[in-house]
Formats: sequence, C-alpha cells, structure tokens
Amino acid sequence: MVKAFVAKSLDDCLNILNQENVKIVAGGTDMLIQNRTHSGIAIGFKTDVLYVSLVDELKHITEDKSNIYIGATCSLEQILENNLVPKILRDSILEMASPAIRHTATLAGNIGNASPAGDSLVCLYLLDAKLEIKSINSTRYQLLKDFILGVRKIDLAKNEMITKIIIPKINFDLVYFRKVGPRLSDAISKLSFAGALRMENNLVKDIRFAFGAVNIFVVRRREIEEKLIGIDKKTIKDMSDEIIGYYSEFIKPIDDQRSNKLYRKEVCSNLIKEFLEKI
Amino acid sequence: MRDISTSINKVDNDEKTSGKAIYVADIKLDNMLYAFTVRSKIAKGKIIKIDYPELPLGYYIVDYKDIPGKNIVKVIFDDMPIFTEGDITYLYEPIALLIGPDKAVLSKLFAEVKIEYKEEEPVFAWKDSVIHYHFDKGLGKSALEEGKIIEYVYQTGYQEQAYIEPQGFIGYLETDKTTLIGSIQCPYYVKNAVIQALGAKDDEVRVIQAAVGGAFGGKEEFPSLMACQLAVALKKIKQPIQLVYEREEDMLVTTKRHPSRINFKASIKDNKINGLSVHVGIDGGATIGLSGVVLSRALIACTGAYAIDNLDVSGDVYKTNTVPNGAFRGFGAPQMFFAIEMFVEHIAMELGLDPLEFSKSILAKQGDYTSTMGVFRDPVLMPEMIEKALEVSDYNNKKTMFKKQQNLKGVGMSLFFHGCGFTGSGEKNIIKAKVRLKKQFDKVEILIAAVDMGQGVKTTFRKLVAHILEIDIDKVIFNNPDTDFVPDSGPTVASRTMMIVGGLVARATKEVKDRWNEGSFVVEKQYEQPDYIKYDESNFKGDAYPAYSWGVNVVEVEVDRFTYQVKVNKTWAFYDIGKAIDERIVIGQADGGLAQGLAYGYLEVMNHDKGKIMQKNMTDYIIPTAMDMCSMETYLYENPYAYGPYGAKGVGELSLIGGAPAVAKAIENAIGKKVFKIPVTPEYIMELMKNGKD
Repeated sequence: MVKAFVAKSLDDCLNILNQENVKIVAGGTDMLIQNRTHSGIAIGFKTDVLYVSLVDELKHITEDKSNIYIGATCSLEQILENNLVPKILRDSILEMASPAIRHTATLAGNIGNASPAGDSLVCLYLLDAKLEIKSINSTRYQLLKDFILGVRKIDLAKNEMITKIIIPKINFDLVYFRKVGPRLSDAISKLSFAGALRMENNLVKDIRFAFGAVNIFVVRRREIEEKLIGIDKKTIKDMSDEIIGYYSEFIKPIDDQRSNKLYRKEVCSNLIKEFLEKI
Repeated sequence: MRDISTSINKVDNDEKTSGKAIYVADIKLDNMLYAFTVRSKIAKGKIIKIDYPELPLGYYIVDYKDIPGKNIVKVIFDDMPIFTEGDITYLYEPIALLIGPDKAVLSKLFAEVKIEYKEEEPVFAWKDSVIHYHFDKGLGKSALEEGKIIEYVYQTGYQEQAYIEPQGFIGYLETDKTTLIGSIQCPYYVKNAVIQALGAKDDEVRVIQAAVGGAFGGKEEFPSLMACQLAVALKKIKQPIQLVYEREEDMLVTTKRHPSRINFKASIKDNKINGLSVHVGIDGGATIGLSGVVLSRALIACTGAYAIDNLDVSGDVYKTNTVPNGAFRGFGAPQMFFAIEMFVEHIAMELGLDPLEFSKSILAKQGDYTSTMGVFRDPVLMPEMIEKALEVSDYNNKKTMFKKQQNLKGVGMSLFFHGCGFTGSGEKNIIKAKVRLKKQFDKVEILIAAVDMGQGVKTTFRKLVAHILEIDIDKVIFNNPDTDFVPDSGPTVASRTMMIVGGLVARATKEVKDRWNEGSFVVEKQYEQPDYIKYDESNFKGDAYPAYSWGVNVVEVEVDRFTYQVKVNKTWAFYDIGKAIDERIVIGQADGGLAQGLAYGYLEVMNHDKGKIMQKNMTDYIIPTAMDMCSMETYLYENPYAYGPYGAKGVGELSLIGGAPAVAKAIENAIGKKVFKIPVTPEYIMELMKNGKD
C-alpha cells in the first residue's frame, strides 16, 4: 500500500522529505499519466508520495534588482499571467498543454520531470535559469543545465526539493520562441526553438540559441554563441549557413511516432534562419 | 406551420451537457464483475501453452472452450473468431477474458499470465488478396489503347474514429435471457451475433443501447465481438459483468479506416477522359469482415462526381497480420474521392487546362450513367453549387493570386457525392427494415433500432413525427432501442437513417394520422425498394444507390515556410442533402464531418510498426482542436428525394468526403508541388518542396 503525505507548509515538506522516502507531486499532471492504471482503481504510484500543491509559501512570484523568483508550486497559468515573468517564458507556457492542465501543472514539475520534450526547459536554458533547492538543513543554488543529468534524471537528493526557479533579468532586443507541434495547441513538441539577442552600438552583445526535443538535453552551446559576439547586424543576418553548420553536430533528433529526424533537423535550421531574418 | 428545417434544441442537450446521461461505464450492478481481455503478444504464430496464475475464489478465465455456439463473430463476411483457438493472426488478438470482482487483483493476475508461442513470419506486404472484384463500363480496358495516357498512384493512411467514449458493454442474465447494454450503432447486429455465439433462440438475447459517446462507424461491427465474448462469460459465470476498454486498448485493437493504394490510368482524347482504368488495393488487416463492402463502395465511386463512359475497374482486399480494419464514416468513399479528385486535377495540369474548367466539363448531370450503369435520376445541382462557391470564396482570384505570392497560401476545391443507404441490394435483400409506431391516447411512440450517437436521431425523428401529426414534440416518445421492444429497422450506418428509416417512419406516421381517432393501435411498415432500382451485385451493374447527396468544399490554407505546418484559414461548404429535417443538426454534422475529413487529409497520422499501432493514445494520435479549426461557412441546398421524408437524403457521411482532397489541393496550390498521399504532413510537405513534381 502506498502512503500519501499532504504538506501544508514548506517546513512540513522538508521534514517529510527528510524522514520518508517519497516522490514529490506538485500539479501531478505528468505523474498521474506516468502511473496510470485502469479507470476505477487507484493511481499506480510505485513509491510513497508527497503532495505539495497546498504549500502557500511556494506560490509567489517575486523580484529583486537582478532576478525573478518563481515559487515551485505556482501553476503555469499563474506564471503566464504575471508581468514580472519574461515574455519569452510566458510565450512558451502559452503553448503548453491545454488551459485545464496549465491551471494545475507547475514549472518546477516540468523541470523535475526532465523530459527532452519539456516545453518550458528551452526558454529556461536560454535565460540561464537557476534553481533554489532546499533540504531540512541546507539551501543550495544550481544552474538548471547542471541540474538536469539526462532523460528523467535530475541532481536532487532524496531529502531535497526545488523551492524556486530563479530567472536573471536581462533586457533583450529580440526574443523569439517557436514550438513546432503536430497541431496548433495541446500537443507534445516535435521540436522547439528559442532565440534571444541583445545589441550594443549595432554589434552583437549577447546572442542565444536553444533547441528542444532534438537531443537528450536542451541544446544550448555557449561557445558557439560567444563566437558571434561583436559581429555587426548586417553580417550576422547573413550568417545562417555558418551558424546552422556550428549547431549541426549537436542537433541529433530521432525518428518516433510524432515525426522524423530529417524533418526535425531541417526545421531547426529553418528556425535559425527565421530568427536571423527577424534581426 | 413552420418549415420542418427550422431548428429546435436537441432533446438530449440537457442530459448530455449536465453529465446526467448514462453511459456504459456509469452503470453499476449488484455483484458486478469486471473483465480484462488476455491478448496475444505476437502478430503471427501458434499458441503452444498458456499458464494462468492460480485464480482466487470468484475469479474466472473464459475462452473459446466456453462458447456454446459457433466460435465466429457474425458480421458480413464471417471470419473473425470470438476467441482464438490457438492461431494468432494479429498482435493483441483476443485469447480469453479474465474476470473477477476487483480490478486491482485482476491487474495483478493479468500480468502473471504466461503464454508460449511458436512464432511465424508475419505478412505486412499487400500481396495476399482475399477478395478481388472487377467490372467494366462501356469499352472497358480497350478504351485505354488510344489517346494520351496519364498515370498516377495515390495513397491514403489509417484513420482512427477517435470517438469520445471508448467501446464498452455491460451484461447480465434474466432467467433464460442474456441481456447486454452497450455503446453501439447496431443493436440487431449485436443481437444476431450473440444468438449465433450462444446457439440461443431469438427471445433468449436482449440488446439495449446505452447513451453512445460518438461512434463514426467504429461501433458498427466491432461491438459484436465484445458482446459475443461477454455473453459467453455471462453464460458461464451467471453474474453481471462489465467489459469496458481503456483508451489505449481501444486504439490498439479496434477497427480503423482501411489504408489504400489507388492506381489510376486515363486515356485522353480531345481534352476529355476517354477511358479510365483504376485499381484499388485496401489493407483489410487480419480478418475480412466488412472489407469487401468497403472496397465495393470505393470502386463504385471511382469516377468521382464525373461522367466517364469507359471504365476498367478492379480492386483487392489484402489480408495482413495487422489489426482488422472496418467501418468508418464514408466507408471507402473518402479514399476514392481523395484519389479521383487529385487525379482529375493532375490530368488537367498535365494537359495545360484550368483544373476547375476541366472538372466542370466532365461533371455528371441528371440522366447520366453512373460507374455501374445506374442512372443519376434526380436533378444534379452541382453547377449551381460551384457557382455559389466561386462567388463567396473568391476562389478563382485567390488561386491565381496565391500562385504568384511569396507566402505559401493556397486554395483548393473538391467536388463529390455520397450514395445514400446500403450499397446495392442490401436494403432489399439483407436489411429489410421494419419500423413500428405505437399510438396510445394522445401519444405516439417511435419503435426503431436507430441509435442516437450524437447525430441527433432522437430529436429529428420526434420532430418528424410531431410535424406530420401536427402535435407537440412532447407527445412523441423515443427511447434508446431495446431489441425486446423495437423491430429491426437496420443498423445506424451508411447515411441511411433519416432517408430509409425516416422514410418508413413518415409513411407509418401518415397512417397514424389517418386513423388518429381510433384510440390506441400499432402501425408497422417494411422497406420496399422503389421499383426502378435494380442492382446486380456480382456484376456491379445497375443502380448501386437509390439516391445521391452531393457536395462542394473550398478550403484555404497557409503553409509555414519554416516549419511546413498547415493552418486552415477558412472553409466554405455546399451540400445538397435533399431536405434538412433540422438545419442546425445538419450543419453540426456537416461542420464536424468536414473537420474530420480535413484532419484525415493533413493532420491525423496513424501507422503500424510490425503490426503494432504506433499512435495508441490521444496524445500521439492528433485530431484537431478548436485552435486548429477555422471559421466555416456552410450552405445547404434543397433537392427533394421522392422517398425520403420531406425529401431528405443522406447527411452523415457526405461531409467527411470532400475535406481531404480540398485541403490537399489547397496545399498543392500553396507549395506548387503535386500531392500524392494523405495525410499531407509537414514532413511530407518538406519532402515535396525539395523533390516533388511541379
């Protein structure tokens, strides 16, 4: 028999995590699907679970001079409606799932799930998002890209939980997100793309590209981006073939029931072009 | 008095929108057991040995050895066993039911069933023909010996019905009677199949329709399989049992639309089609079932909406070790109309003619012969409908403009018909529909076997009777069919319900009206084929259908030049359905059908890998959401058919048929490349834009 704990406060959460061997359920929109059984019988959780969705302390979105802080149990819809949240992240959330799911699902859950097709991850990688991770006796901060270790693998100890998602404040001149799904809403991505650009004196100051669902991790290559810093606007717009070439070895999609690798690879290239056209 | 077409609220709006309607899964009976289906894990071979876990008290295994009657599901071509006796012909073929009171225990036991097989090489290629048809018209093949020859091949994929409610039954025994309540289209198909399975007498089986959450053809023949299995179990266990599929099980094992490959060859003389040769191959899956009838409908539709004098028509149903395919709204016509509409367009392009002008020049008219030498007896309104389509959609202007523009916009038009009712002599020789009206005091009860699966039968039939009798609709009773009370008015399929069954009900109602002052009495009517309809089934000669509904669809799309995704911007639809018994219900059917047809053309991908369906849930099988659909403009045309009530013809299937060719042509117009298969996915569009034919 599986035990279910319902936490009312963050202290509750951390205490239970410290004493019990539990899986954390926030919105549950993926956990319930992953553990589905027949209708009419209990969800087939394989371990004890800790429900955290009632924890109020984790439901706030705040800011300071340099960062936005999104509490771990904020629903996607709550994030979508909050103007503090960078537009590109809200753009990506708007394309996630259906309104019903968005009212329940959380950003922390999408991160903890660590699916290569997780839609929010692309923008979070692009924005250099960090996580606040707490246990009963520690608080640590980790870059999202270091937190995700593989497909459904994350760097989280048994007694830890994600408490906040931290997004650095950066003013971009251009942000662009494109989810390529099999239909126009409520679908799992075939691939997704996010791009951002900041210019200074007509030269590239910061340029970023991130690709989702085309490798086991979100593809973001700092070393490629750094090569492009200092290039002027006109030149960068004409560099699509070169940039596509740089990313080619990192974009390694697969064939599956949703699409094929040829399509995924070519559309990634096309979206680099589209982004550069917008500069 | 108001025109009967004037819309009223559907009579089941409240129970369905409030959640009060009772579906199979809502029914709980005392001492009810649940059934799980034990299935094969291989696509072809033989069972060597089955090891069932030790069953706790009150748990049962039911398999072929428990069948008192024939181990065959009575459909049209009877080749599907109720449970396999050891031969495996497709993945997930049913072997047994595992039955007991607790689903959690059943799940555990289910996982412990061990089956040893001797595997054989499964066949997935289309080479084992189990049904072959051929017919000629006019000069047949010899017309292909002269003139310019144009040849193309077209392919269509699977389509899943994706009904809202998965398949399900609940059953119980009442002394000698086996009673089944199901989510079904055809109460008497189920009843007759169960009688054969049990070796029972006619009055020992009772079938009742529960609220049906959509069907689209998927609940025509498949439910008979489940019902036979459940009936066998009831006889053995003698306790109520529920057999309801989960969505994934439903998508993996139930019948789908037949994938097809259609080869066309035309000879052209003086810019006209002199002769047409066509071969249609369809994948029947592991059993034949309805595949032969599906193939017939496809073959008969081979000229599309056009009149072509010389035909050489052939087709094959291929048996493969895949899930059996079966009935789906349109029944062979959607495959054929996609292919012929593309072919006529491609012929025109190759001849350097305007495709629409070419189509119009060969369009069938009243009095023309059909592909089987029947006659289009009623007026054909297509020229008028096309004119209107051109006017409201600005089609010609857009088509030229979009070709020149940088952005990938396109517009496409499809012309089509649907033969109403059963193909050939089915109504006369097989179905022999009967209807009954019971007048009691000031009320009239409609007793027919037609099922309301969302298409509005409960509303339109009550409305029909009330309208003829000039009484309030509340005085007309229509309960879900129960075979203990209703006569066999035939299955709820083939766009026949209002035209055929409604026609009979209207005749019976007129008699009730004449005898209104007699008090309480019963009126029965049986189908009589109009004298002029003669059909020779084995030679495909004569009138295959008593009447035809016609349609024109125009679709405007935009293809994304970076992602090749298709956005449907707008549709315009024109349907001649004789007469609408309720305009809003017809438009609901029409717009829903077009959405399903469009999606068949560009969105709904389903394929199998070594016999396993790859898109096994609604996450991976993509049907359109409201976001994918667009504004739809729909026009209905009146063109009464003498034997339909108020002139009504078939509605249900027509509107699905034109969507795929119209959207495929619109995509062609947008990208400037020829389309040869559906669904036209972004992956296919990418391929066409690189290597496609102009």
